[in-house]
Amino acid sequence: MEQTENSGRERILHRIRAALSGGPAHPVRESDAEIFAQIPDPLERFQSECATNHTECILTANATATAKVVGEILGPISGEIFLQDASELRQAATSFPTGLNLRWSSEGSPVEETQATVTLAEALIALTGSIFVSSACGGRSATVAAPLHIVVAHLAQLVPDLQTLFAAMGRDTALLKNSMLCLTTGSSRTADIEKILVLGAHGPKRLVVVLQRDQP
Amino acid sequence: MTNAASEFLRSAAAKSGDLRHRQILRTSVDTYNTAVARGKTRFVDWEAARRRAQAIKWEAVNHLDNYLLQFEARVKERDGHVFWAENGEQARKYILDLATARGVRTIVKSKSMVAEEIHLTTALEQLGIRVWETDLGEFIVQLRNEPPYHIVTPAMHLTRSDIAQLFKEKLGGVNTDDPEKLVAAARAALRRAFFSAEMGISGVNFLVADAGMIAITTNEGNGRLGSSLPKIHVALTGIEKVVPRLEDLAVLWPMLATAGTGQAVTCYNTLVGGPRGKDEVDGPEEFHVVLLDNGRSELLADVEQRDVLHCIRCGACLNVCPVYRSVGGHAYGTTYQGPIGSVLTPHLRGLHDFQHLSYASSLCGACTGVCPVRIDLHHHLLHNRRNAVKAGERAWGERFGFRAFRWTMLHPTWFAALGWAGRLALRTVNALGLGGTKLDPLRPWTKERAAPAIPARSFRSLWKERCGTN
Amino acid sequence: MPKVALFIPCFVDQLNPEIGLDMAKVLVRAGYEAEFTRGQTCCGQPAFNTGYWNDAKPLAERFVKVFRSAETVVCPSGSCTTMVRNFYPVLLAKSHLRDEAVKLGQRVFEFSEFLVKVAGRTDLGASFPHRVAYHDACHALRELGLKQEPRELLRHVQGLELVEMPYSDDCCGFGGTFATKFGMISAAMGNAKAGNAENVRAEFLTSTDPSCLMHIEGILRRRNSPVRTIHLARILAHQCGPEGAAAPESAPGKKS
Repeated sequence: MEQTENSGRERILHRIRAALSGGPAHPVRESDAEIFAQIPDPLERFQSECATNHTECILTANATATAKVVGEILGPISGEIFLQDASELRQAATSFPTGLNLRWSSEGSPVEETQATVTLAEALIALTGSIFVSSACGGRSATVAAPLHIVVAHLAQLVPDLQTLFAAMGRDTALLKNSMLCLTTGSSRTADIEKILVLGAHGPKRLVVVLQRDQP
Repeated sequence: MTNAASEFLRSAAAKSGDLRHRQILRTSVDTYNTAVARGKTRFVDWEAARRRAQAIKWEAVNHLDNYLLQFEARVKERDGHVFWAENGEQARKYILDLATARGVRTIVKSKSMVAEEIHLTTALEQLGIRVWETDLGEFIVQLRNEPPYHIVTPAMHLTRSDIAQLFKEKLGGVNTDDPEKLVAAARAALRRAFFSAEMGISGVNFLVADAGMIAITTNEGNGRLGSSLPKIHVALTGIEKVVPRLEDLAVLWPMLATAGTGQAVTCYNTLVGGPRGKDEVDGPEEFHVVLLDNGRSELLADVEQRDVLHCIRCGACLNVCPVYRSVGGHAYGTTYQGPIGSVLTPHLRGLHDFQHLSYASSLCGACTGVCPVRIDLHHHLLHNRRNAVKAGERAWGERFGFRAFRWTMLHPTWFAALGWAGRLALRTVNALGLGGTKLDPLRPWTKERAAPAIPARSFRSLWKERCGTN
Repeated sequence: MPKVALFIPCFVDQLNPEIGLDMAKVLVRAGYEAEFTRGQTCCGQPAFNTGYWNDAKPLAERFVKVFRSAETVVCPSGSCTTMVRNFYPVLLAKSHLRDEAVKLGQRVFEFSEFLVKVAGRTDLGASFPHRVAYHDACHALRELGLKQEPRELLRHVQGLELVEMPYSDDCCGFGGTFATKFGMISAAMGNAKAGNAENVRAEFLTSTDPSCLMHIEGILRRRNSPVRTIHLARILAHQCGPEGAAAPESAPGKKS
């Protein structure tokens, strides 16, 4: 849309400035106390949080083991499988079972019928058992559009908490250049019916994190 | 009494006596309370967390212009659009014009209280555009043609069989009350909409100034799909939703989740900075952020109540409020219900029509105790009452009554005499068997509960005899 | 003997004198000389809570003057104590009596607060052999921070079985003029409270606040409940005679 005339903008800013011209409201007394406990064993914490939020977390030693695990999960799927076009995943795909219906992010984006997606992640967070993804992970919809989402990640990507994540992001201009970032914790869910937890709302019903010890 | 006030009294009376309704809300809130108690144990110091969250919002709101401008500049750097709307009409017009210009036929919408506030959906539907509410609770109340019952859990007043019946009628091919199957039915209905809609409209939980990104929180993934698949993404927000820095979310995301539902963090905490990047696989071609004032800048000018703008819309105050639990969300007749609604609505829509909400409270203070950003909610109800009196908005009978009260209490002899006379009158009324009838001066009291026994003598009269010793 | 000035809320003076008398009885038993300044009337809370701050202000100023020479002031009501301690500094912010009001607020105490925190007494030699539930009145709990103090006192009452109701800190629904302006909501909240007391088979429901109890009693009588209300001061004043267990002389309430 051509830049719409927005005369309201100046009037709103003027009203805000006038409102604040009397000075700030009474400041609040903050404490320096730690809000979250230190995490002595991030991997252990990540795994227990995953158990709580219904993320399947599978540990593997190396790329070969990872490819095997992912291949086994994808094996029974007859419908389309959409993968982030990253060299690591291309490599893994060479040892997948044959006959899988694979499509890569270089060829487009997931469709309504896509049954599974496989992507990398930007980081893992131990405090909450979360994955942190971006639009670089096969696009925006790749990490949410299919009933099954498999994340291939590495131990070195695991950070203890959100503070550490954001501090790292502050320094990582490439990450911030993405138009979308998302902290994902567990598979999609709702409790809108009598507060009963149901997994699998609009996003994936099943979220699998394959956590590889070795770097790619 | 205004229409809004009498409508509230009518609805409140109907719902207060509805025991089934009360039990449904009680059960829902009990589940919530258990989850929150568990959720709070993840914090080493919940009170310190509240102070931190309060400090973050204080910083944002007390420097609102700077942070909004910083946000706007960053969004524009990435070819996003920012439109400042003074009121609902301007916001609606911008979005309707955009939809028309782009030939939008279908919209998928994730939860936005601001959209409710400006009645956006109705306006879009009047243009012949199909609007799909994608948050399950919102989807349900949309099918029922009702407003949301609660800002976080819109369908908390319905049982699974209510919803089963609704889906059977409206969705076809659904004949179950199994929550899993009901959710699957909703998912199927909405998935087509996600993949075919030309526009996605979302609310905003936080506007991150330094990164120039909006933050959207959902459990269902509907906010993700709505901001990934359609060609156009419109994000609608109040101007007060700003936070200064990305790292502020390290505190606010967990607190919103804990206070909102007892979760550690909500399933999807999404950050969007603009339309799809040049080398990105997918994403909207256009990104529009509509910033709505609609009375917020006036509230900003009220230094005493400026902290009401700190609200992160977690819904905790609704859950803990005994008035909300008695009358439910619809009785309020406003976009924002519960304590925050009762405090905020007189500011956004006028004391004249909505002061009654600030009076419909026993000032128990439970709300203030749970607010994750420490808004002084129950004292603000009192401030609204004081403002209503100062503005001459109260009925003359009440004004006269308190003038008489003041005079009496300034004169102890008259207080004692009037007390004696009053007690005599009431004991006479009761002796004549008129207690509880229309002739009973205590009728406003006795309509709902038995009158207290009226003693023959006052304390001061009895004390005179005892002279201060046993 | 140390002296305490009795702060008798206006409606206790007129409708529940026995609460004031029993509070004085307990204070004497605890070794204090109780004084009643006849000039007192009302702290101004009803006007203040309804938004009539200009009508409440002269009452607050008068109150400060009436009690200015009292060293310690004790009140059988959490809400009235809250008015003086927490709200007088706000109401009188621009008054020449502001500083005096702040200092007065530091020497005004709710009854259970005084006994436990100032007098250091938890056992007042009371006996009340009944099953009793405690209602956490809102002001006492949230404005004065009292939760354990009344319970401590009740635990030391001979023969008393203290039971915890679910949702003991839910508001009873009185709320001042709220009780009549929004009677049906007030009654709904009161009925929920009554039901909770009945569900734990309490014989009596007690609290620090006579206004809560007056409202709850009215609800209980209207629903023909086996539960009765009784103010904390009345329990603490109660002592069984040589004949053994005796029911309290009069629990307030009417049949209407």
